[in-house]
Amino acid sequence: MSQVNRIKGGQIDRSQTWDFTFNSKKMQGHPGDTLASALVANGQKLVGRSFKYHRPRGIFSAGSEEPNALVQLRKGAHCEPNTRATVAELFDGLSATSQNHRGSLDYDLMAVTDFMSPFLSAGFYYKTFMWPRKFWEKIYEPIIRSSAGLGRLSMEEDPDTYDKGFLHCDLLVIGAGPAGLSAALSAARSGARVILADEDFTPGGRLNGETFELGNMSGSDWAALTVAELSAMDNVRVMTRTTIYGAYDHGTYGALERVTDHLATSGDQPRQILWRIYSKRAVLAAGATERPIAFGNNDRPGVMMAGAVRTYVNRFGATPGQQVGVFTNNDDGWRTAADLAAKGVNVIAIIDSRDAPAVCDVPGARHIRNAAVMDTAGRKGLKSVTLTDGQVIPVDCLAVSGGWNPNVHLTCHQRGRPEWRDDLSAFVPGGDLPVGMAVAGAANGSMTLAAALAEGHAQAAAQLKDIGIKAAKADVPQAEDEPRECAAFWHVKDSTKRAWVDLQNDVTVKDVKLANTEGFRSVELLKRYTTMGMATDQGKTSNIAGLAILAEAAGKTIPEVGTTIFRPPYTPIPMGALGGRARGKDFRPYRLTPSHKWAEENGATFVEVGNWLRSQWFARPGEKGWRDSVDREVEMTRGSVGICDVTTLGKIDVQGKDAAAFLNKVYANGFAKLDVGKVRYGIMLREDGICYDDGTTARMSENHFVMTTTTANAVLVFRRMEFARQCLWPNMDVHLISTTDGWAQFAVAGPNARNLLRKVVDEAHDMSNEAFPFMACGEVTVCGGMPARLFRISFSGELAYEIAVPARYGNSMMSVLMQAGAEYDAVPYGTEALGVMRIEKGHAAGNELNGQTTAHNLGMGRMVSQKKECIGNVLSQRPEMQREDAIKLVGFKPVDPSETLIAGSHFINKGAEANTANDQGWMTSVAYSPTLGHSIGLGFIKSGDTRKGEIVRAVSPLHGVEMEVEIVSAHFIDPEGERLRA
Amino acid sequence: MPEFTLTSAPPLAGINKAYGDMHLSAPHDVAIVSISLPLGGEDAALSAVKSAYGVAMPAVGKTATSKSGETLMRLSTDLAFVVFTRATPDAEPVVAGKMKGKAYTTDQTDVWCALQLEGPGAMRALERICPLDLMGFAIGDVARTAMEHLGTIIMRTDTNGWRLLSASSSAGSFLHAVETSIKNVS
Repeated sequence: MSQVNRIKGGQIDRSQTWDFTFNSKKMQGHPGDTLASALVANGQKLVGRSFKYHRPRGIFSAGSEEPNALVQLRKGAHCEPNTRATVAELFDGLSATSQNHRGSLDYDLMAVTDFMSPFLSAGFYYKTFMWPRKFWEKIYEPIIRSSAGLGRLSMEEDPDTYDKGFLHCDLLVIGAGPAGLSAALSAARSGARVILADEDFTPGGRLNGETFELGNMSGSDWAALTVAELSAMDNVRVMTRTTIYGAYDHGTYGALERVTDHLATSGDQPRQILWRIYSKRAVLAAGATERPIAFGNNDRPGVMMAGAVRTYVNRFGATPGQQVGVFTNNDDGWRTAADLAAKGVNVIAIIDSRDAPAVCDVPGARHIRNAAVMDTAGRKGLKSVTLTDGQVIPVDCLAVSGGWNPNVHLTCHQRGRPEWRDDLSAFVPGGDLPVGMAVAGAANGSMTLAAALAEGHAQAAAQLKDIGIKAAKADVPQAEDEPRECAAFWHVKDSTKRAWVDLQNDVTVKDVKLANTEGFRSVELLKRYTTMGMATDQGKTSNIAGLAILAEAAGKTIPEVGTTIFRPPYTPIPMGALGGRARGKDFRPYRLTPSHKWAEENGATFVEVGNWLRSQWFARPGEKGWRDSVDREVEMTRGSVGICDVTTLGKIDVQGKDAAAFLNKVYANGFAKLDVGKVRYGIMLREDGICYDDGTTARMSENHFVMTTTTANAVLVFRRMEFARQCLWPNMDVHLISTTDGWAQFAVAGPNARNLLRKVVDEAHDMSNEAFPFMACGEVTVCGGMPARLFRISFSGELAYEIAVPARYGNSMMSVLMQAGAEYDAVPYGTEALGVMRIEKGHAAGNELNGQTTAHNLGMGRMVSQKKECIGNVLSQRPEMQREDAIKLVGFKPVDPSETLIAGSHFINKGAEANTANDQGWMTSVAYSPTLGHSIGLGFIKSGDTRKGEIVRAVSPLHGVEMEVEIVSAHFIDPEGERLRA
Repeated sequence: MPEFTLTSAPPLAGINKAYGDMHLSAPHDVAIVSISLPLGGEDAALSAVKSAYGVAMPAVGKTATSKSGETLMRLSTDLAFVVFTRATPDAEPVVAGKMKGKAYTTDQTDVWCALQLEGPGAMRALERICPLDLMGFAIGDVARTAMEHLGTIIMRTDTNGWRLLSASSSAGSFLHAVETSIKNVS
């Protein structure tokens, strides 16, 4: 039998035996075991190496506070480092390996660092690796990082999936120990909607690890019965394997549910779920964590927390040793001795730091009072302890209890500070709790069973009363108030050997004192200087002892020293769980244009524009690169006709008796007198006078307008207009609704645009230039009665229209337009050709409307009306924004036509040094113009409107390129607008 | 006969799948028209609604269904949707005709895509993406929310039935979000 330390009793299922491996060694355990309890049962004392000194370490605790027993769980891509063996449930076939050693666990080559420890005290690398400076990044840091650390990632993609979700309740009960179960039961019986969450897989908390009696049954049986009752109630959700890791604003809590971590494979299910829980009220019943006492060589495998030792014995039927000693400063340590003795485990001695009589009778055990352990022996497993009086006691396990610390962490997540209680020698929750939270049981300093049960009920009842729910009558079972006297005792001063305070970060008593000596006297600085309280355990077993030692060294009281700030998460949250399902393609939503399918079938290359996927160009066979495709699309559009899906531009339906007046206020230029059937270009200003969007708005009827925005600002414009409607001018009858997705809209541009559309638009509609001139709009029908909207607007500078049909007909419409245009050699064009043509025409876009430029800069200053009240027109008149030498939008062309302009180049006058003091402006947009046969650009330059014909230098230090460019009109083609009015 | 004809291709057409105790489908021919109540003309508009559909305009967050099957969703103080079945692209004129100029109407049919989720597990699936308290939803309740960053309107149509509306351009992402949630609880 491999389970040499398995003893009778416990809550494991001995009818099944599971095989698992630790460092490839075959072992056995049972359902109900954790990996740690199974390792204990199999007599495996040495489970890992310490972070800094590579000291042999064993299992220290039985819960999520574990600092030592970190393993790599599973294999290959599923391998997860830094898994606490104490909370990893055993499953058949589990594979675990130890971490942080070079060579085997037994013979770690890096253990040499332990012999160098006199040179490696706290902060040694701040002092040691000062010279030469360049060695730090290339030599020192890589060496330190490779020699110290925890587990290693698989470096493969995580094959598991994760999810998230949202839950709501009247009362969230955090922790299913006696206080939590009592609170949940009272609330549930009151009819409240209750969520009970516990990080363990078996609810009950300490009831499972103790031999308490409740009423006429064992504590664990009462817990099981209570959970069964709660689970059967419709108003209760019992969430096991779920850690409430953070308390956030307004009663919102973060929770991590480990759904399949206890199974060999996840199957198709998410491995973990990150829940956001919205609670009206919460009861924190997170219990308490036992703390150690620091003494010489107190880190050897076999030195454990006393409460953990009895948990292994009582709950898991596994004893951590055959010859056990107990070292305690409190009554609770005696319970360990008594429970072990009752199970037939030899308890050799009870070493009590107090000069007090025995708490209870422990058969066979010596009671050594007013004594302490000052050293231990046994490198890979405890063999003996040496007391302060020099006597050596042979033991293979030492159960240590320095008292219990209430788990106050979540009470501090909203910056609340805990308060010190002398009678407990511990911090308890302060008065400044997160909104809606109450605390019950050991977490609140109510350390006995009867007190926890009573307080659980009382806090739940009070919380429910706050939200108008009458609590059910108390039904708290009979329980004892067990002895809990405790005398503060933090470390053994007589110890000359290293005494460990933080086992996970290899921080000793001497390190804490050194930090104080060197001036790091704030507890926050102590943490950063020594690393105490960092990493996976966040100092759950070390923090209080550390600050007690700091207080002692600094001559202060513990409350004067205070604690570090407890922040979420309470226990580690895998990055995968934080990412949830948002991976790969699902990282963010995508939006498709109505003609996406047609574009896919016709060779489109797509580009992300916000969430949209837009056609960038349509390559044809024989074209050697994107420029070939784009040049062709521009030439064919300007030569005949091109079609582009422009659905992505925002569309906002504006209706109401005051719609015209409203638009007159949100646009800088006039809209009040826009005729029905007409479209107008407009610019919108922020309150500070900066231009933030432009577009066209069509008046479809007296009280009905259709606005278009830029693709990028569709949501922003809608939001600002909604704000204006609801908050600035609530007395205006204006109604807004987005129709962006409702209409498939296509630009049809080029000299044959009208000819093409005449084949699609029903004959009843007169499309002649006289009847439907530039900037006309109207409701039409296409293809025999299909409702459509037609706008005669042009972004390309050509004779152009935009035609819109209901979006579900959009893909078909694209196909129809291409068929109708076949006789004109119609071409689909993408966003690149669109961009080239708008630069050729001198139209501003996102590069020019960059949130820094005004209408004055854009050459549209006169559009900003001063004859009306509109957003931004007052502040746009500030003198600095009206300077004559302000930057102005103009065109640029290279003096040498063979040169290629670079966007982002800065303009420097000829002969001037290229520095920021001489900066004249910058190139915003560039393109190769197939129409002109050379590179062209738009840009802002000081007084640009009066400098046409001047030669300046375009300098791009980033590219190491500079060239001479001529300032020209921004309108490279058709400056008089004859084409678009044709 | 016109030379060309247009064919309809709604983004979620044909979705009709069963997953364990759940069923997900994209309802056919869902027409949606918004009704905005004019400032100062609310009473007349509400009367027009009552006359048109035989039911009073519901309170915000509630729905009402006419005998002929049109559902009124009251989304805010001055905005409601009329949701009904109509294949042809003339939903807005139909509703506008009924309103007789007493309210502003806008066609929203193609702005949205619709999914119907049915089954005992539906609420478990939705709690993975819906931040609202669905347990507190009565049959007929409606709300605007966001699921997986996508604006969504959710309505409880039955004990185990939910109607979801989201933007049609991101229908693929929305379907994926809902299907993933279903699969993750199936």
